[in-house]
Amino acid sequence: MFGKKAVDEKKSPSIIAIAAGKGGVGKSAVTANLALALHRLGYHVGVIDADIYGPSLRRMLPENVMPEQIGSIIKPAISNGIELISMGHFRQDAHATVVRAPIANGLITQFLDQVQWGPLDFLLIDFPPGTGDVQITLSQRARLSGALLVTTPQQIAVLDVKKCLRMFDQVEIPILGIVENMSYFVESSGQKVYPLGKGGGRALAEQCGHFYLGDLPLHPLIGKALDEGRSLFEIPGTEADSLQQRFLKLAEDVVEQTKCLEEEEKQALGSFELTWQGGR
Amino acid sequence: MVSQRIKTIRQESPQGFMIEWLDGKVDRYTLGELQKACPCAACVDESTGLRRIPSEEVPQNLSAIKIESVGRYAIRVQFTSGCSRGIFGFDYLRSLKGMERK
Repeated sequence: MFGKKAVDEKKSPSIIAIAAGKGGVGKSAVTANLALALHRLGYHVGVIDADIYGPSLRRMLPENVMPEQIGSIIKPAISNGIELISMGHFRQDAHATVVRAPIANGLITQFLDQVQWGPLDFLLIDFPPGTGDVQITLSQRARLSGALLVTTPQQIAVLDVKKCLRMFDQVEIPILGIVENMSYFVESSGQKVYPLGKGGGRALAEQCGHFYLGDLPLHPLIGKALDEGRSLFEIPGTEADSLQQRFLKLAEDVVEQTKCLEEEEKQALGSFELTWQGGR
Repeated sequence: MVSQRIKTIRQESPQGFMIEWLDGKVDRYTLGELQKACPCAACVDESTGLRRIPSEEVPQNLSAIKIESVGRYAIRVQFTSGCSRGIFGFDYLRSLKGMERK
């Protein structure tokens, strides 16, 4: 069902930012599961963990092949077919990365310029929280096709995501859509419970004129699989299957949005302001 | 899932404008009709869903100050009536009835 797609080696990959502006909304978890889902759909996927200070993707996507530096070139790690580069590959787990912003920027620039990726369809960049130096460097230098914004339902998260949206507007990076993470959990009775409120992501998308790509459940299997560095797609059972289907749907939506966006950018009217004549 | 995007938007009269969508459809809107369908909280009571301003009180010759894009999938209309908070998603605009379509 999920055969390998032939990748066009001459075509640059679609580069997608996964961002929030806020920590703790599950950007890295969404990035990891989106990468796994895209891979499951047959796409060639690379991931940059751009969270220099708190890299977590190495744990979520443990490598079969370690990264390698050959002169100025870095060959990425490979985790079950997904290529990955993370600060986590270059320091021990328990050690903090204690560097000032210019050094962090330099590391990010190395990740962008010096990693020799295989032929990719998609390169996902897991943005660090906030809208500072590193985020601006990434936005300006990564030739992003678009950004996927991750929020949680509560207003405090939505407000930070809104700031992140403004940052992307300022650097003219189009938004692929907004996905709401940790939206609900399902009780044993089958009833959905919304511990963080309901509808924040959808309201934000409508207010800002972006696509709402739906909600993702708060489910212990997601956390457990990522903690164990195990692909959600290798876990059997109906509960895992339902989660797999949800992430596959998100991946399909992201692919569709990216293709549309790349096509539309060639034809559609961009940002505009039509001042009315003779209306007063 | 996939929304349409605007290829061209043009004022056609003091009370109306046209949008040509990427799929070639052309829709014409009058500002009075749009104000009656404005989804903003000042125009629609959030708890009841009822319109705060009755349709008959919207002047037929209502005009605009400006129309601007919001993100990639919506426009915001600043009406001369003072309402400037209404964000019209492209899907919503295309779904509005009673507009001329050719």
